[in-house]
Order: sequence, then structure tokens, then C-alpha cells
Amino acid sequence: TMKKQTASESEEEEEEQGGLRWKEGLQQKASEAFLRQQKAAPNLRKLVYGSVVEADDSDDEEQELGGLFRVSRPQNSKKSQANGVDSSRFDPDASHNWDLEEMLNSIRDCFVTGKWEEDQD
Amino acid sequence: MASHGLAYDGCNFFRQRLVLSTLSGKRVKIKNIRSKDDNPGLRDFEASLIRLLDKVTNGSRIEINQTGTVLFYQPGLLFGGSVEHDCNLQRSVGYYLEALLMLAPFMKTSLKATLRGVTNDPTDPTVDMLKSTALPLMKKFGIDGEGFDLKVVKRGMAPGGGGEVVFTCPVRRTIRPVQLTDPAKIKRIRGVAYSVRVSPQMANRIVESARAVLNQFIPDIYIYTDHMKGANSGKSPGFGLTLVAETLNGSFLSAEMSSTPQGQGDPMLPEDLGRNCAKLLLEEVHRGGCVDSSNQSLALLLMTLGQQDVSKVLLGPLSPYTIEFLRHIRDFFQLMFKIEVQKPSEDERKGGDKVLMTGVGVGYSNINKTIK
Repeated sequence: TMKKQTASESEEEEEEQGGLRWKEGLQQKASEAFLRQQKAAPNLRKLVYGSVVEADDSDDEEQELGGLFRVSRPQNSKKSQANGVDSSRFDPDASHNWDLEEMLNSIRDCFVTGKWEEDQD
Repeated sequence: MASHGLAYDGCNFFRQRLVLSTLSGKRVKIKNIRSKDDNPGLRDFEASLIRLLDKVTNGSRIEINQTGTVLFYQPGLLFGGSVEHDCNLQRSVGYYLEALLMLAPFMKTSLKATLRGVTNDPTDPTVDMLKSTALPLMKKFGIDGEGFDLKVVKRGMAPGGGGEVVFTCPVRRTIRPVQLTDPAKIKRIRGVAYSVRVSPQMANRIVESARAVLNQFIPDIYIYTDHMKGANSGKSPGFGLTLVAETLNGSFLSAEMSSTPQGQGDPMLPEDLGRNCAKLLLEEVHRGGCVDSSNQSLALLLMTLGQQDVSKVLLGPLSPYTIEFLRHIRDFFQLMFKIEVQKPSEDERKGGDKVLMTGVGVGYSNINKTIK
């Protein structure tokens, strides 16, 4: 019985330790889980504001040749956008063909002539 | 960098940066303006906008380097009052007016701006569109009253211009938070088909072809024809159409199209213009929301500057311009919106996904306004 007791005691101890162990690094685990979630579920907020896990994008623009000449690379997309046309116009989705009946049907309920929700009649 | 306020690269989103800088009082420095272009630096229309900002403010400091590739702007106080401005013809009056709409409610004295130049061109929202969508939107935020008006006195098409509009706006101390979450159904479609220095018949041809498309949805359509003559018709010939769909609770969605400016590409038939513009309106209805795509940033700005209370606005898909505007709002006012996608249910035929924007206003109060 002594043996058993010690065994169970040690078990208990282990459990206790285990029970304590899950508390270790709780904050780190939570932040890891949060970052994992941010990575996995791309959402609009991330698209607009960028994510917390944003990779270091300090592009090494100041590349120099022989410490004298700076490499002038052709304008990449980001750069040309920086000097794009400042207009609030939002170009229409080119994949929408408004000659198709299918397309016309997709917005019928936006008009008073379309179907009404039951509670709004 | 902190001592220089905020810093940006390139000339895109120029107006957003200057407007938000003026409202927040934060200095801004814009570098590398077309620095790798064959013709580097600020363009005349941008200089014209800066001059307009200088007219409506008091004590702004503007520094531009010799090549025009670096601009430093330290905003002064928004003064307002009576202002006249000849807008550079490279951009239409809409370009300048979009900036003024954002600033006007926050002036010391109410603004009366007379703007001359191109009233209608294909690049920017036309004065007709701003009149029929931006003004009703601002009214929802409590900016209204007798002196709130945008009048097209003379029409001037690109490239010659010669148009004139008068914009008057009362000042507000605070902005009312809004809950615009249900756009409701479209009850009618209105529009203006305009023509200057061409046959008045052009406008009628536009109306007919646009009606043919829109009548498939709703019978209540009225498109005014507006043919200005003589001194009121500007310097260049042209025609165009602005369509506005109005919902049961007063949301407005609009679309528009202007004829190709004289000498800048293939001319357009009025029938094609009418039909294509009607399809653009259908596209805008498909996007949906309580605010149309070109006024998204105006709505978000007024939400930001509202009293410290929750505002909600349902929008269609965010335009690239709006996305950049949200980033700028974060930079200047430290406000990030909650952005939720709303998918329409399966049996609903209400277009594409919508976006619900939620934010708490920063409690901006107009310190410029004189207390009477």
C-alpha cells in the first residue's frame, strides 16, 4: 500500500505540476494563437491596416555600387502607384456583363419592384 | 521625423493628405513627387489646389523645393468666408470641390466659394454628381440649413472649361453620429442629361437609350435635359449624363459619364453614352450600401470627426481610394474602423458583398467657429 500511495502521490504531484505547467507562458501562447489566426483568416481589416505579424519590409533601396552610385531600378508597382492619378473614381468590375439576364437578376430585389422581406410589406 | 509631422512619398492621394493635415493640425511632408518622371514635380493643378487651400485658411505655411518634388505643409486655421478661385483646367472643379466639401463645415465663418473651370470631365466626379449625392449625405450628419447649396451657374466642358459653380456651406461645431445600416429599396431614378455647344437633340438621344436599360427595373424614371446656351455654355462642346438612384430612406447611388473631351480620343455616340452610363448605375446598385462608391471617404471622414459615439455605415466594396483614406485616417486621427463583411443571403437578389464600417468618432469640435 505504501508503494501505491507513493505512486499515486507522485501521480498527483505530476498532475499538479502538469496543471501548473499549462499556465506557463500563457501570454506567449495566446499571442501565438492570435498571430496564427491573423495569418490564417485574411480579412478586410488586415487588408486595410496590415497585420500584426507584418514582415519586415524595409526594402534595401539604398543599394550602392562601389559606394558611389545608387542603383536606380525601374519603377516597381508600388512606386508607380505612389505617383498615380489622385481620383476618387472606382472603376467597375470588368467581369460584370450587364447585357446578361443573369446579371440583371442579381440586383432585382434592390428595387421596390423586387421581392420584399416578409416583415417589411 | 516626429518634428516634421507625417511624411509620405509620391503625389497620389494628394488631397487626402492635405485635407487631413488641415483638419488635424498635423504638419505633413510629401517627398518624391514624380521624382523619376521626365517632367518631375508638382503639376499646375496641384499648385492650384494648394493656392485654394491657402485662400480658405489663415497662416498656412507652404514650402516647395526648387524642382517641386518635395512639399512641406503646415496648416493654418480654417477661415472660410467668401472665396473666388480659378481652378486649373487640367482637372475639373470636382477635384477641388471634393477637398472643399471635407473642409467647409469646419471653417470659422461659413464658406461661399465661387469656383471657375471645367465642370464636367471623365476623370473626376462632376459638379452635378456631387450636388445630388455628396450634399444629401452631408445632411445626414447634421450639415444642412438654408445656406447649404451647390449651384451650377455656367457649364464648362473639358478641355476649355469656362464653367462656374457656387458652393455655400454653413459651419458646424460638432458632427452628428449616424447609423446608416439599411439602404432600403430604390424607389426612383433621376438624372440630368446635359449638352453644351452641340445640338440640343444630343441630350434627348442620351435619355432615350438610358431609359431603355433602366425601365427593366423600375417605371419611375425622370431624366432632365439641361442645355445651356451662350455665355453659360463654356468654351468646349460636349455632353454627358448623371444618374441617381434614390432609395426609400434617402440613400443615393449614382453613376455618370461625360463625352470624350474634344481632341482627346475617339468621339462617343450619345446612344452609347446613355446605355453605358445606365449600366454603370446598375454596377453601382450591385455594389450597393448606403453611400455610393465615390463618396465613401467623405462618409468615413464625417464618422471620424463625429461626437464620441458609435457610428455605423454600410458600404459597398471599398474602393482603392477609400482603403488609402482609411490608412490616412489612422495616421492623422489614430482611429481604426471595425470592418465586417456582410454576405447577402442565398435567396436575396441584392448584388454583391457589403461592408459594415463601425467606428467611434474622435469628438472633434470646431475650434475655429466663432461663438455668437
